[in-house]
Amino acid sequence: MARINRRQFLKTTSAAAAFAATPGLAYSQVVGGGGPFDDYRALVCLFMFGGNDSFNMLVPRSGAAYSAYLAARSGLPENGGLAIPQADLLPISPLLGADEMDFGLHPGMSALQTLFEDGKASFVANVGPLVEPTTREQFVNGGVALPPQLFSHNDQQDQWQSLKGNATSRTGWAGRMADLIRTNVTDQQMATNASLFGTNLFQSADETIAYIMGPNGPVEFFGFSSDPNAGFGYEQRSTFERILGADYESVYERAFAEVQQRAIDSVDNVLGALRADTTPTFDGVFPTGQLGTQLRTVAQLIAANGDLQMKRQVFFVATGGFDTHDNQVADQLDLLGNISNSMAAFQAALESIGMEQQVTTFTQSDFGRTLSSNGDGSDHAWGGHQIVMGGNVNGQRIYGDYPVPEIGGLLDVGGGRFIPSTSADQYAATLARWFGIPDVDLDIVAPNLANFAERDLGFMIA
Amino acid sequence: MKTMRLITVIAPLLLGLAGCGGGSGGDTTPPPPPPPPPPITKSEAHQFLNQATFGATALESQQVIDMRYEAWIDDQMAEPASLQLPHLQSLAAPGVMPFELQDDRVDIWFRNVLNQDDQLRQRVAFALSEIFVVSQLGTLSNQPWSLGDFYDLLAQNAFGNYRELIEAITLHPAMGVYLSMLGNEKPDPVNNIRPDENYARELMQLFSIGLVELNIDGSERLDPQGQPIPTYDQSIIEGFAHVYTGWTYANSPSFRGARPTYFNQVVPMQLYPDFHDTGPKKLLNGVVLEANRTGEQDLADALDNIFNHPNVGPFMAVRLIQRLTTSNPSPGYIERVARVFNDNGFGVRGDLGAVVKAILLDEEARPEFRMEIDGKIKEPLLRLTQLYRVYDAQSESGKYGPGFINILLGQGPLQSPSVFNFFSPFYAPPGEIRNSSLVAPELEIATEYQNTQLTNYFLLQIFVYNWMIDRNDPNSNYNEDTILINFEEEMNIANDADALVDMVADKLLGGEISDTLRGEVIGILGLIPPEDSLVRAVEAIYFISTSPEFAYQR
Repeated sequence: MARINRRQFLKTTSAAAAFAATPGLAYSQVVGGGGPFDDYRALVCLFMFGGNDSFNMLVPRSGAAYSAYLAARSGLPENGGLAIPQADLLPISPLLGADEMDFGLHPGMSALQTLFEDGKASFVANVGPLVEPTTREQFVNGGVALPPQLFSHNDQQDQWQSLKGNATSRTGWAGRMADLIRTNVTDQQMATNASLFGTNLFQSADETIAYIMGPNGPVEFFGFSSDPNAGFGYEQRSTFERILGADYESVYERAFAEVQQRAIDSVDNVLGALRADTTPTFDGVFPTGQLGTQLRTVAQLIAANGDLQMKRQVFFVATGGFDTHDNQVADQLDLLGNISNSMAAFQAALESIGMEQQVTTFTQSDFGRTLSSNGDGSDHAWGGHQIVMGGNVNGQRIYGDYPVPEIGGLLDVGGGRFIPSTSADQYAATLARWFGIPDVDLDIVAPNLANFAERDLGFMIA
Repeated sequence: MKTMRLITVIAPLLLGLAGCGGGSGGDTTPPPPPPPPPPITKSEAHQFLNQATFGATALESQQVIDMRYEAWIDDQMAEPASLQLPHLQSLAAPGVMPFELQDDRVDIWFRNVLNQDDQLRQRVAFALSEIFVVSQLGTLSNQPWSLGDFYDLLAQNAFGNYRELIEAITLHPAMGVYLSMLGNEKPDPVNNIRPDENYARELMQLFSIGLVELNIDGSERLDPQGQPIPTYDQSIIEGFAHVYTGWTYANSPSFRGARPTYFNQVVPMQLYPDFHDTGPKKLLNGVVLEANRTGEQDLADALDNIFNHPNVGPFMAVRLIQRLTTSNPSPGYIERVARVFNDNGFGVRGDLGAVVKAILLDEEARPEFRMEIDGKIKEPLLRLTQLYRVYDAQSESGKYGPGFINILLGQGPLQSPSVFNFFSPFYAPPGEIRNSSLVAPELEIATEYQNTQLTNYFLLQIFVYNWMIDRNDPNSNYNEDTILINFEEEMNIANDADALVDMVADKLLGGEISDTLRGEVIGILGLIPPEDSLVRAVEAIYFISTSPEFAYQR
C-alpha cells in the first residue's frame, strides 16, 4: 500500500510560491529534482552534538606543524594543555591533502584509521557555515555577510542543518532534497527522511514529513493487531483509528491525530521489514550504546530497503557530549572512540550485505573548538573537520585546506577559532549531487552555494 | 451634570429613594444592580483547572464553581510553596551517591504537583522551569540539591517580581554551573582567557528579550526596509559577559579552587572582586557601564538594563500564555498581558502574580473564544499528572518513580536536553499548522515514536498497574514503589456502558465528549462481557485518555 500524502499533490502550487518568495532561489522543476531512480542510495548524517574538538581528531603528527599544535593547545595535558602526545597519534598516509603536513588520528580511533587507510573514509578539513568566503579582515571590519549567532550551539546546529545563513528558514537541506524528489518516490513505504534521534531541522520540509523512530526502530502499540483475524487486538486498533479519523474542530487535535495515524500506518510496514527473516540482526557487530544501536537499526532498514520499496533515504543519527568545556582529554577518548568504532561497525555491516557502494555516511557538528585551552577544555569555535565514509567516497584523502594549527594565524579570529575555508553549503551540495539532485537544483538544497567557486568538493566518486 | 451623576451613583445605596435629585428633566431612577454572572459550568471549571493546576478534579471544580475564578486565584496565591529541598536534604547520608537522589527529586516533584494545595503556584513554577531552564542532564547530574533548590526558587517567586526573580536565578549556582557564569573570569590575554559568553547570550535570548525587537503585541518591529531589528550584537554580548565575571560558589577557599559542596550548591554565588572585570561594559540601548565599579554594582545595573527593555513584557507574556492557556495568543491578548507586566495597575513593573492573573482571566482564555486555534496540546507530563490526579495515583511506599521520566514521556522536571527546553516556542509541525503560520510547541515532542511510547505507558498504567494488581505475581514487576491508580468507581458501574463512559468523560474531559469518541467506546465495550468490569473500565479509560480530545487543552 503506497503511502500517499494528499498534501503533496494539493500543495504543489503553494510550494512553488514558497520557494519563489525566497530571494535568489528559483524552483526549477516542480516535478523533479532527479529521478525516476533505478538504483538505491542512502545518506546517513551522524550529528555530534555539542561541537566536536576536531583538531584533536585529525592532528599534524610531525615537524613544525606539530610544534605549532602543541604550543597552541597550551602543551600536554599534564601541563594543563589539550595536546595529544606525538607518539600517541595513529599515523595515516593520505593520498591528498598531506603536502604541507603529516597527519595522525586521535589514539582512540584505530578503527577509523583502518577505514581511512583502506580507502573507505576521508576527511573534509576546516569546514563550517559560511554565507560567503570570509577573510579575517572582513570578519573583524564587516563588509561580508556572516551566519548569525556564531558560537551559539543551537544557532550553529541550525546552520549546519538548514544552511540558512541570514535567512529565516523552517526547512533543512535533507528536507528540501526530499521535497525535490517526492513525486519520484511515491511507491516508498516509508518517508525519505527518517530520524532515530527525534525531530530535527535537518529533515524538516515544506511538503514531506520525516518519520521519527526510536534507536531500535519504531515502537508498536501494545494490544493492537492489524490482522483482521486477531480478534480483540484488531478491534482495539480499529477503534483507535476510527477515533483518530473523527472530525476535530481544533487544529491541535487534528495535528495530534495526524501524528498518531502516521505512527499506526508506518509501524506495521517498518517493523515488518525490520523483523523479516531476510533482514540480518547484525548481532555482535555494533558497539553497545545509543549510537551503535541507532546505526544497527539503520543498517537493518537499509538491508530491508527492497521490502519497503525505497529508492532514496536520508537517515539522521546522533550522539551528544561533545561540548568539552571541561575534562576534555578523558572525555575525548570515549567520544571519539565511540564514533570510530560505530562508524567502522556500520561500514562492515553494509559490506556484509553488499550495500557499501550505495550508502554514504557523513558527520556534522555544531562547530569546531578553540585551539587554546581554558584549563581543562576548550570553548566554542567555528571551522572543524568532518568525516565522510562509504564505498563511493574517494577515500584516504583530506579535502579542503587544513590550516596550520597555530594561534594568531591568517584564519584565526581569536583563541584559535578558525574561519572555515570550505563551506557547509559546499559539503552538503557534494553529498546532494551524489544523492541524485541535479546541479540546477543544488542551490535549493544549499542556498549559499553560488557564493563559492567550487560546487563540488570532489570527495564522491560517482 | 455633576449633581445628577453624584446622585445616580449614590442612589442605589439609599433604600427607598427614587427619582430624587434635581436637574432638568430626564429619568433619575438608579440603574439596576448588575445581574449576577451566570454560574460556571462543570465543563468551564474543568477547562480552567487544566490551565491552572496539574489536572482538573471534581473537588477542585466545585471550589471554582463556588468561588469563581478570581477568588480561587487569590486563594491559591496565598498558598505557601511546597518545596523540594527539605526532602532532598533529609535523604543525604554517607554512602548515598548524589546522582541517586535525582530520582528522589523527581519523586518529590510528583508528590508536590499531584497532592499539594499550592496547585497554581506549582503550575507556574513548572512553566517558569521551561523558560529559565536548568537541567539534570549534563553538568548538574551530581547536584540534586542545587536543582531542588532552584525549583523551589521558582515556586517561591512564582507570583513575585520578575526583576527579583532574574537576580535570584542569575546568582543561583545551578544556573551558574549550567550556563557557565560560575567561575567566569575577567580577561587574561596572556593565557588566552576571555570571559565566557554563554550566560550573557542565553539570559537575553531565552530569558528576557529574545533576538529581535518586539512591539507590545508581540509582533516583530521592522526597520524602514521591512527587516526585523536585532536586539543586541556581539559587542553587547561581550559587554554583559564582562559583567558576569568574578562569581563562584560561596565561601570557597579560592576563586579558581571553587568546587561544589553540599552546602554551597544551595546558596547564592559570591563575588570575588579580583576576578571581576573592571573595564567599561557596553549594554543594551546605548548604555555603557563605567569602569572600576564593583561586581555587585555592575550586576544590578546590567539586570536593570535588561529588565527595562521594552521587549520583556511581550516576551514573557507570549511564553507564559503558551505554557498556561494557548499556543497562539492573539496580538490583543499578548498586549493586554504585556501591559500588565509593564504596570500592574499600581505602577509596578514586572509583577508576575498580576501577569498570571491577567493570563487566566482574559476572555481569550475561556473556551469557545476562537474555536479552531484556541487552546493547546497538553504536554505529556501534564497528561500524566491529570490522569494521576483523577485516579488517585500512589504507591505503597508513597514514592513516585521512575526517575528518568523523560525517557518514557519525552520530558521530565528539570530534565531538558538543553537550555532550549523540550520544545521551542516557535515550533510548527508540518501541514495545516505550519501552513497557517501558527505554532504548537508541545507537538515538537509528539513524534510517532514519543506518542506511541506515551500511549503504551498509559495502557500499562491503566491495565496492569492499578489497585487490583496481584502484588505477589513475580511477572508483574511490582514493588512497593510501583505507582498504582484506582478506578473502583468505574468498575462498580462498568456493566452499564453509558454510565461508564459518562463517568470517565466527566472526570477526564469535563463532561464534554464527542459523539465519535463516545460511540467508539460504547462500541468496544459491547465486545466485552458486562461482568468483566475490570477490562470494561480499562478500555473506557484507555481510549478516552489517549484520545486527541484528551490531549487537547481548550
